[in-house]
Amino acid sequence: MSIAKPLLDYAKSLKPQKGFAQSFSAFKRLLQYHRRYPWHVAAIVVLAVIRSILFSLEPLYTSFIIIYVIGPPTNTSLLMGYLLVIVLAGMGYAITNFILIYVHGKMSQYIVRDIRSEYYRSLQTKSFSFYDSVSVGDLTSRATVDLQLVDMFLRTWLGTVLNAVFTTIVIIAIILPISPTMTLISIATMPLIFYFTTRLWINTMPLFRNMQLIMGRLTSYIQQNIIGMKTVRIFRREKDVVDGFKEVEDIYVNTAITAGKIQSIYMPLGPALLTLGATLVYVYAGITLGVPYSALAVEQIGYLILFVRYMMRLTFPIRDVSQTLGTWIAAYAGLERVQEMIDAPRSVEDMPNARDVRIEKGKLELENVTFGYVKDRPVLNKVTFTVQPGEKIAILGATGSGKSSLIYLIPRFYDIQAGSIRIDGTDIHEFKLASLRRQIGVVLQDVFLFSGTMRENIAFGKPDASMDEIVQAAKSARIHDFIESLPSGYDTPVGERGVTLSGGQKQRITIARALVGNPRMLIMDDSLSFVDAKTEQEIQSAIEEATKTRTTLIIAQRFSTIKTAEKLLVLENGSVAEFGTHEELIAKDGVYKKVYETQFVQKASAILRETGGS
Amino acid sequence: MSGSYGTFSTKEEERRKRTVPDRALIRRVYEYAQANKRNLQIGVTATIAGAFTGLAGPYMHAIAIDSIITPKNLSGFIWWIPLFAAIILGNYLFQYLQTYQMRIVGEKVVAKMRDEMMEKLQVISLRYFSEGEAGRIISRPTNDANTVRIFIRVGLTSILVDISSILGAFAIMFYLDLRLSLLAISVLPVAIVLVWRLGKYSRAAYRRTLITTAGLTARLQEDLAGIKVTQACAQEKETERKFLKRQDENVKATIRAILIGSSYTPSVITLRLIGTTIILFFGVNALLAVPPVISLGILVAFIEYQFSYFMPLVDLVTMYDQYQSAMSAIERMFDVIDTKVEVVDAPPERSIALQ
Repeated sequence: MSIAKPLLDYAKSLKPQKGFAQSFSAFKRLLQYHRRYPWHVAAIVVLAVIRSILFSLEPLYTSFIIIYVIGPPTNTSLLMGYLLVIVLAGMGYAITNFILIYVHGKMSQYIVRDIRSEYYRSLQTKSFSFYDSVSVGDLTSRATVDLQLVDMFLRTWLGTVLNAVFTTIVIIAIILPISPTMTLISIATMPLIFYFTTRLWINTMPLFRNMQLIMGRLTSYIQQNIIGMKTVRIFRREKDVVDGFKEVEDIYVNTAITAGKIQSIYMPLGPALLTLGATLVYVYAGITLGVPYSALAVEQIGYLILFVRYMMRLTFPIRDVSQTLGTWIAAYAGLERVQEMIDAPRSVEDMPNARDVRIEKGKLELENVTFGYVKDRPVLNKVTFTVQPGEKIAILGATGSGKSSLIYLIPRFYDIQAGSIRIDGTDIHEFKLASLRRQIGVVLQDVFLFSGTMRENIAFGKPDASMDEIVQAAKSARIHDFIESLPSGYDTPVGERGVTLSGGQKQRITIARALVGNPRMLIMDDSLSFVDAKTEQEIQSAIEEATKTRTTLIIAQRFSTIKTAEKLLVLENGSVAEFGTHEELIAKDGVYKKVYETQFVQKASAILRETGGS
Repeated sequence: MSGSYGTFSTKEEERRKRTVPDRALIRRVYEYAQANKRNLQIGVTATIAGAFTGLAGPYMHAIAIDSIITPKNLSGFIWWIPLFAAIILGNYLFQYLQTYQMRIVGEKVVAKMRDEMMEKLQVISLRYFSEGEAGRIISRPTNDANTVRIFIRVGLTSILVDISSILGAFAIMFYLDLRLSLLAISVLPVAIVLVWRLGKYSRAAYRRTLITTAGLTARLQEDLAGIKVTQACAQEKETERKFLKRQDENVKATIRAILIGSSYTPSVITLRLIGTTIILFFGVNALLAVPPVISLGILVAFIEYQFSYFMPLVDLVTMYDQYQSAMSAIERMFDVIDTKVEVVDAPPERSIALQ
């Protein structure tokens, strides 16, 4: 099966559907964000009215010059006054326009900020299950690239729409009293323009939407390809990757060209129709003209010029509205992608009766704990066991046996579906999430450090930690000596622009990070399998020191870890198969004994050949 | 950082000086368009023809006013109406061809470049994908390709249309009346200097927003990559505070850029209207001279042509930014395509199968 098969199927499954109603509800939601800025909206409306009036003055006064200055009768004394009006109106228009763009831009930035903050906040509260199913690149691009599309629309949309409406109204208000018939002829094509613009919108919107959806997927495809390049090379799937990419890209290109074809048919229609309307005005004016060269004829010609120039001027607001519709199509797809994540269920939240609870001893009881990522497909089934304060429990089991799920239930990274988990007799749901998590040190399987200094990374969970606490944690994690050996010590930056760390060093910094608040309980997902003997020994020593006095659950891969644990818990298909001390389990002659003999005894280095616990 | 990737190095990318001259880049992109040579030829021709037919309006109106309506010589409509209708129809057709053909060229050229990048990425040394570099590489077949796509689709045609409109308007004006033409373009040097000068500030402000945006993106990416750690340490409030602070900086920089970016339009619009009043003042005097030096139709046509060369001028300045970023994007894309392959597979007949 081709690597791109799911993507290809997805792209093919996208039918151009009429997303009219959907788009409308998205627009209403976007309008909600405007409600926070009533003064900005009001200013934009007022400025738009003024702008439209000032915009219409130049053609009007030019026609006055034709009628009253040139004549007959000629009256050059009026010329300077009219010119002054034109210049002043022009300057007023320019300044109003400038202020409007600024206010509009400011509002758009505030709204984008509000949406992005809401997005960010919603992501902060999502459970681990959510993060297991999305990619960081995708989430980031929603808050940047997609919101940029929304920004493009927000920056001008209201001003553009109001400009088209008010300019049309102002112009009709001026020309209607002059000649109702000519006004009617001039605006006769407008319903057609409106109709074609709507058709353009209806026909292209689904295509653009599909394009954006396909591009979003293609981008993740490229990301995955680049990040997983090593794997691609090992399995020699290079050609597959590129061929699959090309197939999907073809669909994208063809959709883009189809959309282009529709646009090319409809978009130039508006200006063409307006020009056509202007032509009809000429013919009508020619036929109804009074005695040539008379004052009446000059007035008629003056107004004819006014009508036609207004028609020509109207092409700009109409073109702008068309473009704004284009930016809306893009913004809509972008907004949808952002809101999809905001609306995604979060599943882990503080209970209404949650409170701050102090963990004094660290006794942990699990009773009939059942949990699954999908309903009715439990990963853990009625798990029951008790850990005494200060005890270290090593958890063993094959990939998919539910080890990671089990330990991650304790700080409520996922919520259990049945049963109960109690710490010192208090159900974990009675804890405030922050209170619970701050008192449980966690070392995740995936080693992650933030950019910043060593000190900042270690003190991440407790930003106000004293230097003593930090050093103490680093010493326990056996990383203090290494940090001290660096030229800037604890102030050495980590990451891209800082010192390059080995996997083992990173692992020990994350252990130090978990220890900094001196938690009573510790949860470690130690699945770092492929490390050399020296690194393993370093990590081992750190783990031993860190877990000395703390209630600990550790997913173990190494016999050295298992050896130091007080008790062992063997998981099999989501249930506790065996629970007890090493000696007890050996005596029991069950699964553990078999694993022990095949994995640890026969293979001296004793590293389970599994890369990811689940 | 481990586990995170993205547009980390955008900051450096934006600052980096371009080394390949524009001409060389354009020539190479043109080679990619060879497969769609016909589309390109039709597209460019239609673009220029569309701009020219678009300029015919004011001149046709001048003829109608001077030769048909003022003397009430209605038989003139017999040729005027079909001719004007033909021009409108022609203009429509040219614009249709322009939009459609240029779309084909834009999409196909960029797709081809993107394909070559993808092919190249599969064979170049794995060293290229070292940590922290991933984001930089990813943005080339995605963000950069999109920049170029939009440029070919919108920017390139706009530049063609603008230049054709300006030159066409000048040609018609000089043909109609030399003296009035010189008056009409008298404000042009001031306008060019002004637009260029202020445009520079606006571009600088715009670039600053790109840098803060890159910073915001990097922050977001890191926060999300480390979200499990943040949740495990219950530090959501703290990271949120830092993020919002960074975001506010970005908002401020962008608002500033909008302010500076739009600051030159008032002076340009005012200049345009000063140009209009100059034409009106001298035009009316020329019209009232005995015998009249120009006709009413031509005077009105001049006002319109002055309008139609000013708008493209402002447009061209805003296009400059798009052009610059498209060139940088093109350069970065060729950078991937031109990367040397260090490890090459032996041809099948010479490769040894392991038994």
